[in-house]
Amino acid sequence: MSLSTIIIILLIILVAALIGLYVFYNRGDERLQFDIGGQAPRAAGGNDSSAERTVRSRLLGLGLACTSVIAILLARIWSMQLLSRDEYVQQAENNRTRKISLAAPRGRILDRNGNEIVGNRPCLTVISKPEVAENDIEIQLLGNLIGMPAAAVRRKIQDQSEGAQSDRTVASDVSRRVVAFIGEHPYLFEGISVEERSARSYPYGGLAAHVVGYTGTVTREQLEESAASTEEGAIVYETGDTVGQAGIEYQYENVLQGIRGEQSVFVDANGSVLEYSTSVEPQSGSDVILTIDASLQQAAEDALASVIKKIHDTVSKACSAGSAIVLDVTNGEVLAMASCPTYSPNVFVGGISNDDWTSLQSEQSNNPLMNRAIAGQYPSASTIKPFSTFAALDNGIATNKSEYNCTGWWTGFGEASGQYCWEHAGHGKMNLVSGITYSCDVVFYEIGKGFYESDNPEAFQAKLREWGLGEITNIDLPGESVGRIPDAEWKWNYYTESADVDREWKGGDFTNLAIGQGDLLVTPIQMACAYAGVATGGKVWRPHVLKSVRSRTGNGSVVDYEPQVLREVEEKDEYKSMVHEGLVGVIYKEAEYIASYFETLPVRLAGKSGTGERVGHNPTAWYITFAPEDDPKFLVAVTIEEATWANSSAIYACRDIWGALYGVKNEIPYTVSSVESVGD
Amino acid sequence: MAQDQGIRESEPQSFVDIVLSRLGLNLQKMGSSKLQRSRFWKKIYLTEFIPNVLLVLFGALVMWSASLTIPEASFPRHLVGILLGLAAAIAIWRYDYSLFADKSTFLLVLDIVLMLLPSIPGLGYNAMGMTGWVQIPLIGFRFQPSELAKPVTILLMASVVGAYNGKIDTLKDYLKLCGYLCVPFLLILTQPDLGTGLIVLVLGAAIIVCGGAKTRWVLITLGIIVVGAFVIVASSMTEGLPHILKQYQLNRLIVFVDPSVDPTGNGYNLQQAKIAVGSGGLFGKGIGNASQAGSGFLPEAHTDFVFALLAEEFGFLGSTFVLVMFGWVVLATVGLALRVESPFAKLVCVGVAAMWTFQVLQNIGMCIGIMPITGIPLPFISFGSSSMVSQLLSAGLVQSVWHHRKQVG
Repeated sequence: MSLSTIIIILLIILVAALIGLYVFYNRGDERLQFDIGGQAPRAAGGNDSSAERTVRSRLLGLGLACTSVIAILLARIWSMQLLSRDEYVQQAENNRTRKISLAAPRGRILDRNGNEIVGNRPCLTVISKPEVAENDIEIQLLGNLIGMPAAAVRRKIQDQSEGAQSDRTVASDVSRRVVAFIGEHPYLFEGISVEERSARSYPYGGLAAHVVGYTGTVTREQLEESAASTEEGAIVYETGDTVGQAGIEYQYENVLQGIRGEQSVFVDANGSVLEYSTSVEPQSGSDVILTIDASLQQAAEDALASVIKKIHDTVSKACSAGSAIVLDVTNGEVLAMASCPTYSPNVFVGGISNDDWTSLQSEQSNNPLMNRAIAGQYPSASTIKPFSTFAALDNGIATNKSEYNCTGWWTGFGEASGQYCWEHAGHGKMNLVSGITYSCDVVFYEIGKGFYESDNPEAFQAKLREWGLGEITNIDLPGESVGRIPDAEWKWNYYTESADVDREWKGGDFTNLAIGQGDLLVTPIQMACAYAGVATGGKVWRPHVLKSVRSRTGNGSVVDYEPQVLREVEEKDEYKSMVHEGLVGVIYKEAEYIASYFETLPVRLAGKSGTGERVGHNPTAWYITFAPEDDPKFLVAVTIEEATWANSSAIYACRDIWGALYGVKNEIPYTVSSVESVGD
Repeated sequence: MAQDQGIRESEPQSFVDIVLSRLGLNLQKMGSSKLQRSRFWKKIYLTEFIPNVLLVLFGALVMWSASLTIPEASFPRHLVGILLGLAAAIAIWRYDYSLFADKSTFLLVLDIVLMLLPSIPGLGYNAMGMTGWVQIPLIGFRFQPSELAKPVTILLMASVVGAYNGKIDTLKDYLKLCGYLCVPFLLILTQPDLGTGLIVLVLGAAIIVCGGAKTRWVLITLGIIVVGAFVIVASSMTEGLPHILKQYQLNRLIVFVDPSVDPTGNGYNLQQAKIAVGSGGLFGKGIGNASQAGSGFLPEAHTDFVFALLAEEFGFLGSTFVLVMFGWVVLATVGLALRVESPFAKLVCVGVAAMWTFQVLQNIGMCIGIMPITGIPLPFISFGSSSMVSQLLSAGLVQSVWHHRKQVG
């Protein structure tokens, strides 16, 4: 209240007093007889009638004043209770009504056969009000009860990541004993309560962890973003909501996330619930059905892990990472997608602990959260050779008549810049088909040189891009990498620190590109899609892991994913059959032992191995195969980091996955070797 | 009057007679009980009695409904308060009030003693922010002497002012009378209890004004009070000057002018009281259905904010009933003042009427946001035995004036 307001009020009173003064002063002072009723007058008195009149008029004034008071009060009450009633009723309702939002169960994630990969389970959670952090005794008691150090309990309560004002999660999945103890001793645990929350469950353990992803508590940024969103039907998050943070959980968040319900309750002034009122039932999120086949996924993960372990234990201590993809080339469905090293999405349930997070981020753990099948970037190595072949044929750099002589040492750009074929002994006479089959580097050095000397050298890179290399496949998973197709402009801009002469595009860059080495980077899913295109004769379907979405409320309607063509590459049939012949040869012609790995399969395969060199590291091994070779349906692509020659590493994972696909086992033991003679 | 005559056992008696006789009210021996009754009722000023009884009954109903949801509102204790007050009222009714007319010294001493009781070690009870309470040792009975001081002050002021026969001409006399009033007022302020102090000031001022104080002096006093209040408030609000008003008192003033200043403290209380009153509507929410009072949003719903509870449960009809009853009680008292001839009797009625009016204005006005918040109970209705006894005692005074009136002609 400002001083001026007081002054105004006091002035009004003063004016009223002056008016009163005027009114009273004009009454006159006539004296009239007054019966004093048996009392002796102490002052004045006598036959004075004015006193009686004065008293009488003042009594009447008193009566008037009293009536006015009652009238004023009545008028004000009339205005409040009759005129403004609705407004006050609304305020009273606002006072006593609280809305409690009811969390909607999150949709499940199922494999293509309806097996539950990610489900929900009830989870007893101890939550605390922020103020409890100041109560040492209570924290100590709580710590003892749930078996946590008091310092850890305090840290949890002080953690503001769920919002400064909101309740803090202290512990999830506490036992019934803990719940009972807290319930029986409310005076010891003021501000502590137990809530039954719904938590993610993983019946298959960490199966397909990189595909399904994980959930976490909604972050402040996500909260702000959802609050700012004006999109129709967009989910509005609340503090403490569980949201997808990676994989399918993130990608299909708005499908999986249900719609919150709302319970109106009547509360007293302390916020205690007195009575339940109306409620709006929460709507469960929809189930997501994946194209993944759980058993094949398991087989792929096992195969990848066992090969990596074998390599790690024998020839390459650094080997710990890799990926495997199984695609249906006829529609782009991803039947399995494995990435190593993996993690357990369960550690994120109820909030990941600092220790777990640190360990997942440590260098030693080699980034287990990364889905290497879509985010890993490597030189493609020899697996690029079919596309180099297409580029050469399409641009007239080579023909089906072209012949090459491999001596193991190629000097196309002079002796000083001579390059070895991987087979130092030389392949002898080669053409394009046998160049693919035997992976003869010399053939592709010649192609690289041919492009270098042609009028339109960058038609090479254009062809690779046409096949989707260096471009995302748009798979329905977050975090896909782009890769990189190097060209003259890129090289000049990339090596800004180097001397100009080193920044220029040279013939050697083309020969490197033609054999998939150098600055080239591709992702496993890119290569898988490109080979799927080779398998189908040019049509590449967009890879996807979503098969359908099934509503859990209402009629349980199903919305199927409509396969989309990602790209169609035009190649002459003659060229396609040349490449195809070369790829079949890789399996059945290059070496007998390679064919032996696949001889138990009921179908014939085609494919290509690749061993990518990295300075200072063990090579990256690729093995990409599809089958049946005459009518391709499935594709298996395996990539292993820090491995050894593909034909003694990635090929085993590939073999085991094909075995699982067709239900046949091939028991030929792994013979991991770093010797070059196993072929590439 | 033959008050000492007993009732003959053989005589047929009505229930009322029996009850009254048990209470020691010996009626005049008469030939028929009907005549007896009519004589008895003549001793009661029905014009004031009827609304007063209705107010007490309605207050009991309100308190019973409050006791359903507010644990502190004990209905039996309220009834005990009514009974105590009734006993006090009957006592003063039977006793000739006019005997106090020339006992101003005794009344002044009684007033001072009452005011100083809370300050006596061992008697004073100051817990939970309550001040001005006295707890009688051993039996643990607590009461507020300042409540009892109100009727005593009425008698005191009526006695000293009444002696002037309605004509206070000299400044010296006027100042002397003001001095009498200042004794109880300043003593109450030391407790500190500004609310009760204001009541005492208002009823004393009404007695002085109606007792024939010269208009000029009254207005000059009023001017001094206004300027003084201004100086006190301004000084309390200004940094560096003495803060005469306590901060909570200042806050109540500030909130009264602008409730949005402090929505959780005093402003919150005011807001909640207004919501309670307003949401009552025409018919109210019904007994026990008051969400504001029953769920704890409205603080002190059974004492200071009892009108808000009443208005919420009984609506505009209930509020109007209470106000009309108060109006009736007050006007009946003023009317009696006009009819009696003794200046002392007139001024006793004036004091009682002024006290009730001001308390109603202050208490109800506070609930509806036209008066600042002070802890003043609503007569006959608010929970609290001290107030109940004091108010019924005052009603008994009015009845005593009627009872002991001198019939003329």
